Amino acid sequence: MSEITAIAPPELDRFRQRALYTGIIALLACGVGAVYDRQQFFRSYLLAFVFWIGIALGCFAILMVQHLSGGAWGLVIRRVLEGATRTFPLLLLLFIPLLFGMTGLYTWAQPQAAQNPLLQHKAPYLNVTFFIARAAFYFAVWLAVSFFLNRWSAEQDRTREESVTRRMQNISGPGLLLYGLTTTFASIDWVMSLEPEWFSTIFGMLFMGGQAISAMSFVIAVVVLLASTKPMSDILAPRHLHDLGKLLLAFIMIWAYFSFSQFLIIYAGNLPEEITWYVHRLRGPWRYIGLGLVIFHFALPFLLLLSRDLKRSGRWLATLAVAVLVMRLVDLFWLMAPDFHEGTFHLHWMDLALPLGLGGVWLWFFASQLKSRPILPLGDPALAEAISAHEGH
Amino acid sequence: MSDNTEINPDLDTTTRPAPVIMPGHTFKSVTDKIASIALGRRTPMGWIIGFGISFMVFMVMMYTLGYLVMTGVGIWGNNQPVGWAFDIINLVWWIGIGHAGTLISAILLLLRQDWRTSINRFAEAMTLFAVACAGLFPLFHTGRPWLAYWMFPVPNTMGMWPQFRSPLMWDVFAISTYASVSAVFWFIGLIPDFATLRDRAKKHSAKVIYGMLAMGWRGSARHWHNYETAYLILAGLATPLVISVHSVISFDFTVGIIPGWHATIFPPYFVAGAIYAGFAMVLMLAIPIRRWYGLEDFITMRHLKNMSKIMLASGLIVAYGYMMETFTAWYSGNQFEDYMIKNRFKGPYAFWYWTLIACNVIVPQLLWIKRFRNSIASLFTVSVVISIGMWLERFIIIPVSLHRDFLPGSWGMYSPTEWDWSMYIGTIGFFVMLLFLFVRFVPMISIFEMRTILPQAEVKEAQ
Repeated sequence: MSEITAIAPPELDRFRQRALYTGIIALLACGVGAVYDRQQFFRSYLLAFVFWIGIALGCFAILMVQHLSGGAWGLVIRRVLEGATRTFPLLLLLFIPLLFGMTGLYTWAQPQAAQNPLLQHKAPYLNVTFFIARAAFYFAVWLAVSFFLNRWSAEQDRTREESVTRRMQNISGPGLLLYGLTTTFASIDWVMSLEPEWFSTIFGMLFMGGQAISAMSFVIAVVVLLASTKPMSDILAPRHLHDLGKLLLAFIMIWAYFSFSQFLIIYAGNLPEEITWYVHRLRGPWRYIGLGLVIFHFALPFLLLLSRDLKRSGRWLATLAVAVLVMRLVDLFWLMAPDFHEGTFHLHWMDLALPLGLGGVWLWFFASQLKSRPILPLGDPALAEAISAHEGH
Repeated sequence: MSDNTEINPDLDTTTRPAPVIMPGHTFKSVTDKIASIALGRRTPMGWIIGFGISFMVFMVMMYTLGYLVMTGVGIWGNNQPVGWAFDIINLVWWIGIGHAGTLISAILLLLRQDWRTSINRFAEAMTLFAVACAGLFPLFHTGRPWLAYWMFPVPNTMGMWPQFRSPLMWDVFAISTYASVSAVFWFIGLIPDFATLRDRAKKHSAKVIYGMLAMGWRGSARHWHNYETAYLILAGLATPLVISVHSVISFDFTVGIIPGWHATIFPPYFVAGAIYAGFAMVLMLAIPIRRWYGLEDFITMRHLKNMSKIMLASGLIVAYGYMMETFTAWYSGNQFEDYMIKNRFKGPYAFWYWTLIACNVIVPQLLWIKRFRNSIASLFTVSVVISIGMWLERFIIIPVSLHRDFLPGSWGMYSPTEWDWSMYIGTIGFFVMLLFLFVRFVPMISIFEMRTILPQAEVKEAQ
């Protein structure tokens, strides 16, 4: 155990700088874009924000699952997951600009909503004050739970005490429950209410499934990148990647199952208040994006991930993970953008530039967090077994 | 291989979870213990009494079915506007119970959870028997079960063809696939154990019967190789079935537009409910069986605790489903959705709705408490409560949604008749009777898999 020097590699610094520069350049460009088209800026900003916070939230959930379930796969990615959850303060900061764009984004926040009886009915929930209060509550929960998980994990490194491990397990059960509730309502507030007439009870679960895919793809890409140099290159074994690949496959299947269920039920019911949402998404070029999701967000990764060789090869698995991550952005675009244009197709350059900009800043922050701690949870009692060469379980 | 057969149970208890098999067992003691139950010459008195009672209840079912076929489905209480009631409630309830068996045998196998080993055999048996009970309801609800083959796409001179757009047709395929895969999976898992019984049997008839069931198993390396491959493939096939069967069942409701039925969350929420009810049933069976047959060394507290945790997790997903239904009923702004929830809360069946919430949401929260999870009596009680709750959930979803839908002029009330009850209770007798037969004649714990989790069986191999 003691011979492991689990210090993050210096390559991380180069990555950090590049991410920051890219982010700043893209954000500056979008700042100019905002002057010309303020409304589009916020639309793209929401897309970018929901995409990047999805990774952080997914990592947050997987971190807690990993504390409850144990397993070697969880230990090799624990620090990456924790690093992502330590970005919640930054994400809170990045959320604030959205408050200035609310009236442009959400029809229920506009004055003419008072004339719509349906929106009047929903006003006790869909109003600006309560929206902000809820968002504050979500962030408070995420910040608090992730704070303790990170603090105790650092304590475990130092003290290697059993009680710390148990404490993390004990917070993870209720933590997952809170994650489920807050993320569900956040998905309703931030995304579902873009088309305020529409509703779907599975939406929160669908959203969480997407976050799990985002997070797992991100984590795979990061650990494979880390494994290009020491110390991770000595530790990350094909069997770890195999398990991570299986989990990614499972999440992709779950996401497809939720998406298909929602589609089938709404399609078969064909009720005006529900089907409109799909009509907007299945008209014109949107239809091809929807079809693209079926193929590239589900069918292709599903088939490729069935291969054992692919799952055990770091390079292939990471390539696939990055492709899936791109499809996550496409999926969120397909979920959100049609609402702004009543179903007519519209793609703005900021829809690409802002995810890049926010992502650059977020990745810089993430990499700084990752660097600040040993790359493996050195104090975890199960670590020795998890990284031993022995193919056990 | 280590020759250290004695492991100090107090060793490292803080880091190590409770063992999946109590220390001190050898290959021989495991085999003796499990095989002797099936091969024992003397049938215990308790078994005879239990089997007798369940057989009598089974006869109630047979009598009901006879009367049903002679008279027609009019003897049941369902009629306009409540066209679906006990027949569908019990179908969903029984199918749901079966799910835990598949989850334990397939998903936990793929996840390499070795604690599943001692419970998978009887959990799978429970699945099969539950599916058998479930299948009876729609079969007899057709009114003419002898024409049930019309539901299969068999070319015929009448030019009839199944309506593939109907979720009821999807059910036919989903459930029959599920039943066949479960049966094959269970049987293949049994083959090496049947061979053990064949080799240990003293009576000629037992040798012949177990010999035929063992299908010529000799335990050669090639046999084991084929066996392991087949078992893994079947586990892979059975895994999506855990999700698909109950999702298809939920489509029976969601594809329609009845308020209370048409909700997008139904598929995952039904699956979670099925796992919830299934684990409650596994616990209800495991707790008495380990006691009566002295199997506490094999089905340890670790098993009971793990199952109670899965039960708690799936129960929370079910509670989440109730919450989302209620929230969305208001959020939708649709008056029929809104009335559906108000009718559940305050309508004529409100008492049952609140009982359901108490059984499925409130009582199971006790499982958060460690002391509670460690108490066998409490686990058993909470499992019974959950089984009742899950039955009530289907009652609330099916007849209560139907009895008041869009037009107040077509509202009505539903009450089950004595034939509804005798059919339902009869299937419980059928289920229990099959279980009695199973524990008497089949090794109820997988002998060879138990041997592999003994510490002696651990082989350290270099990579």
